[in-house]
Amino acid sequence: MKTIDYIKKAIGDMFRIWHDELKQVFSDVGVIIFFLIVPLAYPVIYGLIYTTETIREVPMVVVDDSHSSLARAFVRKVDGTPDALIYSYVTNIDEAKALVDSKKAYGVLYFPADFSQKINRGEQSTVSLFLDMSGLLYYKALLLAVTEVSMDMGATINPTRIDTGAPINYESVSLYNPQNGFASFLVPGIVVLAIQQTLLLGIGMLAATTREKNPSGRLIPPHSSYRGTLRIVLGKALCYFAIYIFVSIWALEIVPRIFNLPQIGSTGTLLLFKLPYLLACIFLSMMVSTFIRGRETPMMILVFTSLPLLFLSGISWPLASIPDFWKYISYIFPSSFGIQGYVKLNSMSAGLSEIAFEYQALWIQTGIYFIITYLIYRKESIRKD
Amino acid sequence: MQQFKSPILKVAIREAKRLVSGKIYWFCMIIAPLLCMVFFLSLMKEGLPTNLPVALVDIDNSTTSRSLARQLDSFEGTEIIMHCSDFNEAKIEMQKGNIYGIFFIPRDFEQEALSGNQPTLSYYTNGSYLIAGSLLFRDMKTVSTLASGAVVLGTGRAKGYTDSQIMAQIQPISIDTHPLGNPWLNYSVYLNNIILPGILALLIMSVTVYSIGIEIKEHTRLDWLYAGKGSIVRCLIGKLLPQTLVFFAVGLIMYVVLYLVLQFPMGSFIAMVLALILLILSSQALGIFMIGILPTLRLGLSFACIWGMIAFSASGFSFPVIAMHPAIQALTNLFPLRHYFLIYVDQGLMSRDFVYSLPQYFALAVFLILPVFVLKTLKHTLLYDSYKP
Repeated sequence: MKTIDYIKKAIGDMFRIWHDELKQVFSDVGVIIFFLIVPLAYPVIYGLIYTTETIREVPMVVVDDSHSSLARAFVRKVDGTPDALIYSYVTNIDEAKALVDSKKAYGVLYFPADFSQKINRGEQSTVSLFLDMSGLLYYKALLLAVTEVSMDMGATINPTRIDTGAPINYESVSLYNPQNGFASFLVPGIVVLAIQQTLLLGIGMLAATTREKNPSGRLIPPHSSYRGTLRIVLGKALCYFAIYIFVSIWALEIVPRIFNLPQIGSTGTLLLFKLPYLLACIFLSMMVSTFIRGRETPMMILVFTSLPLLFLSGISWPLASIPDFWKYISYIFPSSFGIQGYVKLNSMSAGLSEIAFEYQALWIQTGIYFIITYLIYRKESIRKD
Repeated sequence: MQQFKSPILKVAIREAKRLVSGKIYWFCMIIAPLLCMVFFLSLMKEGLPTNLPVALVDIDNSTTSRSLARQLDSFEGTEIIMHCSDFNEAKIEMQKGNIYGIFFIPRDFEQEALSGNQPTLSYYTNGSYLIAGSLLFRDMKTVSTLASGAVVLGTGRAKGYTDSQIMAQIQPISIDTHPLGNPWLNYSVYLNNIILPGILALLIMSVTVYSIGIEIKEHTRLDWLYAGKGSIVRCLIGKLLPQTLVFFAVGLIMYVVLYLVLQFPMGSFIAMVLALILLILSSQALGIFMIGILPTLRLGLSFACIWGMIAFSASGFSFPVIAMHPAIQALTNLFPLRHYFLIYVDQGLMSRDFVYSLPQYFALAVFLILPVFVLKTLKHTLLYDSYKP
């Protein structure tokens, strides 16, 4: 009978703590910013920035020393591609360079004087392409456009002058992101990372507030419900979890639909995946929060880590090329596994069995961070008595 | 001696003491930016990712197909780490993230190529990983082109044609590509020249907001105002000057490592140092503006953090601004990092004339006017406001 009463009391306390924490969250503008405003607005902001997915109609200039109809046909075709746009014809390379320097154009297409003669003589002819490397996407777009046109025209120029046999065909397929879109590639990573980062910031701020409000500067308020360590840790975690279930549905399932990003994963699988990801983030945040003094400290020391963490996830710089040392460091953060797992589930139609490694790692992190958080809170409550 | 000190100097000395004794300042002003530098430069030390894992599906398994595979494997960017018996097996490896590309050689490839039946080579890249995918695309495309060329050269030579005649047949129009500024397509050059100053700018805004806001929060505001003899301008200059110097020193260390040690492309060092100074000052000015209009530390700081993070996207260094929605294009001007990036492109990467960057230098200078609009409110806050948690 006593055990049952004890359990009843513990669960009652846990929900009391859950309720207290929820009230604290919603009475603190600083926390609301990180728990609600940022996670709700961020995916939209990034979605809007990258919504065009790819660059189209990159302007380029033409210098045509050949004055041939063939060169003009070439230029018309380049202009007709979705990737490139002919800004203007100029008479020499210097004028072209000036236009590139003033960012009116990002590439120069140069036809030498003997461009069309060479083709008529049955020789290989060359066009020169000068590219502004200030952005790799300009480079890719213009190179793609000019290469396509050169192959296209090449095939129509005297197709069988000499009989050398038919070459090999080849086809390329970009899986999971057919138009190589930038939003489809980057936004999923940013969104998953934002969940971890905002939890770190918000929970850090809450813990520091508790300390600042507590005359003794301790993490646990002097209230009878806050007696058992387990009920404190679980009660608080439950509060954050309840909020982030909604936040994550928005960020991971609704936002991709709004911006037409890859969204293959089923709601059920995503839920199974979110469970360890959210828990690992929550317990990591609770663990980190115990070390934080000062409500504003989390913002100062955590925000800038978003960039390194995004790169550690291997979404941009490939995982296979990340030095071992940094790879091991990346195992500390749920975001590394969370981003990989989410992208595989949601963009690449993988199932939980394909992401077994990430999935298990997130549960292990959940376990480790829970135990450490529990021990720290336990130490705090013993110190109090 | 004491009475000769100007109020600005007095505030500056007061601030220097605060900086030295605050762990958070050491961390945010020196440790964090330098740690990021070490991280990003060591992460990308190869410049281009090498030996990206690829699966080979070789149904043909002939001399030709094996030689093709060897050729692909010999590229620096690509490494065939597994042979799969069919496409589905390879696709599962792709979903697991073990490989970024699949090179598929169909049944009877060699035989059909030799008999002129135009077999098709297929290669698949993972578009979810844009960098890895596009690098593998390049390597696999080159191998396919070379394979095609090899077959044609073989049959053409047998029929007595010269190589140049044959090349004119395979590829009547060839493209001679000149990537200007970064001919190696080095990603470290492409990313770190903006990521590192961007992190610095984020930290500058945060530290500026924090160091002013904490005076309000911890009720030292009157002491600060007193040290500046009641002038908010002297207070701000005296307070931020020591920070400017520290950030400038940290920025210079970055420049030395990037441009002198690692020899990243650098047109005019002087022009870039000027850009660095303006990036620091404009970030500080924005910081004053932020805490001025949101004089509660955590709100002002949230503003600084969000602005500093979005700046990376708004600068357009990875996804070009001209590809963004026109309304967003206009908004990118509100981020100092955007102007810094444009200056870097002209003065650092492409070695262009100074005049091309004048509008950007001017734009950065315009940010320095921002504090003027909040001087009054800030002084009012310092005099009368108390911290609201």
